[in-house]
Amino acid sequence: MPRINSPAELEEFRQDIISKRGPNKPCIAVCTGTGCLALGAAKVVSPFKEEIKKQGLETKVDVRETGCPGFCERGPLTVIYPEEICYLQVQPGDAKEIVSQTIVAKKVIDRLLYVDPTTGAKTVHESEIPFYRKQKRLLIGNNIKVDPKSIDDYLAVGGYAALVKALFHQTPEQVIEMVKQSKLRGRGGAGFPTGLKWEFARKSQNETKYVIVNADEGDPGAFMDRAVLEGNPFSVLEGLTIGAYAMGAHEGYVYVRQEYPLAVENVTRAIKKAEEHGFLGKNILGSGFDFTAKVHRGAGAFVCGEETALLASLEGKPGEPRARPPYPAVQGLNGKPSNINNVETWATIPLILNKGPEQFASIGTEGSKGTKIFSLVGKVNNTGLVEVPMGITLRDIIYELGGGVPGGKKFKAVQTGGPSGGCIPAQYLDTEVDFDELPKVGAIMGSGGMIVMDEDTCMVDVAKYFLTFLSTESCGKCSPCREGIRQMLKILTRISEGKGKESDIGLLMELAESTRDASLCALGGTAPNSVLSTLKYFRHEYEDHILHKRCPAGVCVELYKAKCINACPIGQDVPGYLSLVAEGRYEEAVSLIYQTNPLPGVCGRVCTHPCTDVCLRAETDEPVNITKIKRFAVDMAKRRGYTVKLKKGEPKEEKIAVIGGGPGGLAAAYSLALMGYRPTIFEELPELGGMLRYGIPAYRLPRDVLDQEIDFLMRVGVEVKTNTRVGRDITLEQLQKDYDAMFVAVGAHKSLPMRIAGEDLPGVKGGAEYLREVELGTAANPGKRVAVIGGGDVAMDISRSCRRMGAEVTILYRRERKDMPASKEEISDALAEGIQLKELVAPKSIRKTDTGLVLEMELCELKDFDRSGRRRPVPIAGAVVTQEYDTIFSAIGQGSDLMFAGSIETKGDTIAVDRHRMVTNLPGVFAGGDAVIGPARVVDALSHGKKAAVEIDRYLAKKAGREPHAESLEKIQVTMTLPKEVIETPKAEIPKLNPAERIKDFAAEVELGFDEETAKKECGRCLRCDVSWLAARDKSMPVAG
Amino acid sequence: MDNGTIDKILDKYPRDPSSLIQVLLEIQSELRWLPKRALEKVSKTLNVPLSRIQHITTFYKAFSLVPKGRHQIHVCTGTACHVRGAGRILEVVEDVTGLKPGLTDQDFKFSLETVNCVGCCALGPVMIVDGEHHGKLAPAKSKDVLKNYE
Repeated sequence: MPRINSPAELEEFRQDIISKRGPNKPCIAVCTGTGCLALGAAKVVSPFKEEIKKQGLETKVDVRETGCPGFCERGPLTVIYPEEICYLQVQPGDAKEIVSQTIVAKKVIDRLLYVDPTTGAKTVHESEIPFYRKQKRLLIGNNIKVDPKSIDDYLAVGGYAALVKALFHQTPEQVIEMVKQSKLRGRGGAGFPTGLKWEFARKSQNETKYVIVNADEGDPGAFMDRAVLEGNPFSVLEGLTIGAYAMGAHEGYVYVRQEYPLAVENVTRAIKKAEEHGFLGKNILGSGFDFTAKVHRGAGAFVCGEETALLASLEGKPGEPRARPPYPAVQGLNGKPSNINNVETWATIPLILNKGPEQFASIGTEGSKGTKIFSLVGKVNNTGLVEVPMGITLRDIIYELGGGVPGGKKFKAVQTGGPSGGCIPAQYLDTEVDFDELPKVGAIMGSGGMIVMDEDTCMVDVAKYFLTFLSTESCGKCSPCREGIRQMLKILTRISEGKGKESDIGLLMELAESTRDASLCALGGTAPNSVLSTLKYFRHEYEDHILHKRCPAGVCVELYKAKCINACPIGQDVPGYLSLVAEGRYEEAVSLIYQTNPLPGVCGRVCTHPCTDVCLRAETDEPVNITKIKRFAVDMAKRRGYTVKLKKGEPKEEKIAVIGGGPGGLAAAYSLALMGYRPTIFEELPELGGMLRYGIPAYRLPRDVLDQEIDFLMRVGVEVKTNTRVGRDITLEQLQKDYDAMFVAVGAHKSLPMRIAGEDLPGVKGGAEYLREVELGTAANPGKRVAVIGGGDVAMDISRSCRRMGAEVTILYRRERKDMPASKEEISDALAEGIQLKELVAPKSIRKTDTGLVLEMELCELKDFDRSGRRRPVPIAGAVVTQEYDTIFSAIGQGSDLMFAGSIETKGDTIAVDRHRMVTNLPGVFAGGDAVIGPARVVDALSHGKKAAVEIDRYLAKKAGREPHAESLEKIQVTMTLPKEVIETPKAEIPKLNPAERIKDFAAEVELGFDEETAKKECGRCLRCDVSWLAARDKSMPVAG
Repeated sequence: MDNGTIDKILDKYPRDPSSLIQVLLEIQSELRWLPKRALEKVSKTLNVPLSRIQHITTFYKAFSLVPKGRHQIHVCTGTACHVRGAGRILEVVEDVTGLKPGLTDQDFKFSLETVNCVGCCALGPVMIVDGEHHGKLAPAKSKDVLKNYE
């Protein structure tokens, strides 16, 4: 271990190392950062070493245990040099093959390579992997090249050249000038200009000064500093030494949180090695400059990341911040001038000296120069560390680098800046990431943590989470922080438990402001940010929790008994009826279902089941097939001749008009009739049903089932006026005069235009309109060659209908199958029936010929991500195909026909309502369903109908001075026991008519329904989350099965 | 408790108050808790009043004034792990061990704590048992991990 005493000796030593390694010497670099170690990297290293030994290659091949390069999602990571071949998710068993194939035979092992999820293409070289290629890895790029235990490795990649520059070619003032010119801003979160801070410390006159590394990376979800300190500790020490020289300090501290034992170990060893070689200690490299550094561990207090608290902790005291001024640069550790900087800031210093400040300043934005490492975590595909130039957009980080949100879930927000930061919703994804832009949208960049959240994250819970964290981490010294956070947390806890009050939001804002303005340090000062930013962008979630005692994301456990019940817009008691069906009590099951669902036979056939999507059984094997059990129960009860007994309320005089006889109108009318009103439905078509009849074809929803269910509802006491169109046969104004209240549920039945040439030609039809004609019996035969443009449920219905009319059908969709909004079952059923699907084609124009319609289409490729979170299809230049068809259907979405609306306020092509009261701008005029929220699900319309009925009754009752109708439901005894045992069993699939049979008969129902044994067995798979919930809150409840 | 252990630790550090936290960390690691006798010794040696030591041992989370079990379970409840369902993992672990965070069982087998981020967010949810990280946990898997500890 030679001690290096001059720059010349250093260069000689460096060249020696490099030449001994040789540019072509094979090296197996295995990441042994904390993340990969947790994935078993240590067990990968030993087989490599053993195999190398076995093959006698010890002197010819190096095995290097390196620092973390950031692609944590795919660890354990291995890179083979000199070719730079990158292998992912390497297992101990792969070591032998890698040595024989790649090291010896120079062959690439395909199965260990990176595969692009979109194209399926494999990438061999590390730098070409999209995750790395799109980054600018100035700092972290070296991690895979160095063993943190080896100073030789650090020297081989150019280490300590910057220190030589500083000590031997620049004065301390010149060094500071360089840092100032680079415009580097602190990477710990506050972003203070580093050069300026160093200058303050330099200017303080004192023999004793300190430089300190703040490695107390406490933000949960951030681990950039861990990777740098653990993976390349010498880079931090070099920066620290340069800083010590610049500011005139001779003692340094590295304050590392004790939760990072590997970082503590690696930096302690690095200091020892540096001292042995003469890079630390007395007369560094013969320059005459003395500097030593010591490691000091934190003891588990987040607040010690705040610089004055850190100083107190270094002095062996409790980590309580103090007022500033005086700033540490004037009075710091032990009262002496001290400079504290973040790990990443220190590691950037050698970079600036080596590249020159102008080069550094050429990267990034006006106010934020250079690159920054971010930890991209949470609901994102490629979790890990990314180093990018300042100014990159959030969208690029989350989608291009992160690969978007897994599991097909919808992006909801990205939380940046740790507990001090804020949540940024989808509409701001194009915000450039830097110190100044993020605060404009209510967040901060902070130290670099980026936590992606999806539709299953509750934003009230997020605020509660951060406040819980901060309340335990608050040092307690100042009241605004200690009490302010505690009180805000109390309110949020109440809200999450369903005990929120309307005044809570105002109170939270008040508390937030005083906590922010009066706290002593940034912990308290920024604590309200999570509350303020979630209130700003997700106020509706707070309102749902407070006004409706509902947690839409299904997180706040006090607000729901089971996730299925919570996910259902009408709150069906799923575990209840599953239990009744399992016991063969079909009549009671149906009675229970009817308490919330007026069209269960319909829903059992066509509902897109949000319940199944959140069923916890999926954690064991597969979700329970809830929808089809519902259908089974209804079918069985009907077979047994059962009719649900309903209890009507006291007759009420007021007259109510329901415009639209679809599910929304039907549900509203039924509910109102049950309350004792006698509502009138105005329906423009010959029969009731709306989209259920004139949209969903008979093979999915048999007409006898539909008729029977609607009939049952109407017999409760609803007057029906079909073939009556409001706006043509009667005006809205007349209805307003004649009726005391009105519910508008006209749906969305107008196909959206494609906006291409030729779309008005005969033979080009709207999908929704054609489905209506088919039902009315007026549809012209579509011919033999049919094209359907679109990928939603209407597109599927049209395609399968035409197929049954003898056509050859092709669906043309501009993205890929996995992006199609139609239900997965619909798509596979369609394809099974011989319908073709052409992906990545966009319609360009249509023209008429003698033999038909020629559709010109552009082939597309998927480019960058757009606002929907999917890749944007972009036409490939010159790639145009044409195809002739007899009929072309456009099914790209529907809008509402609001010509009749008169003075009802609209928002685009939907009706504007107060979503809590379902009321429009006109008193007594309520609205719901697709006409308000755009094309949605049947069950959403049912939910709106019921809600509107309650609100209409409340409105009329208030006017009349009586109490609103109190719903009294029959108490049905459900057996409340947990399943005896849980054995892995797949979900029962509903038997279907075979495709060849199906397409022969339009009215032949495709789904055949369960037999009794299968149905009961499937019910037994329910885990009875409702029972566990109740039992957890009532210990005396017996639950044994 | 062996006085020699404490002495060995104290010898590593300068005998002044600034060494307090470092010394306590080592004693905690060695003995799995901070017995009063040990604190009295430290107080005398480093010249720090026992009341200040009390303040510090109750301020910092790394310290325990009651004995811990043979196996330390740390369930990470950092933001990334939280968003990925750490709550469910914690529920399962609480169920299996019969403990709540901060507690140790009767046999001194397990001690359960939550920890706010250990920097393995890509592997979330994460549980650390005796320093060994277990990542990408599903609730059922966390049960299996604990079965291996005596």
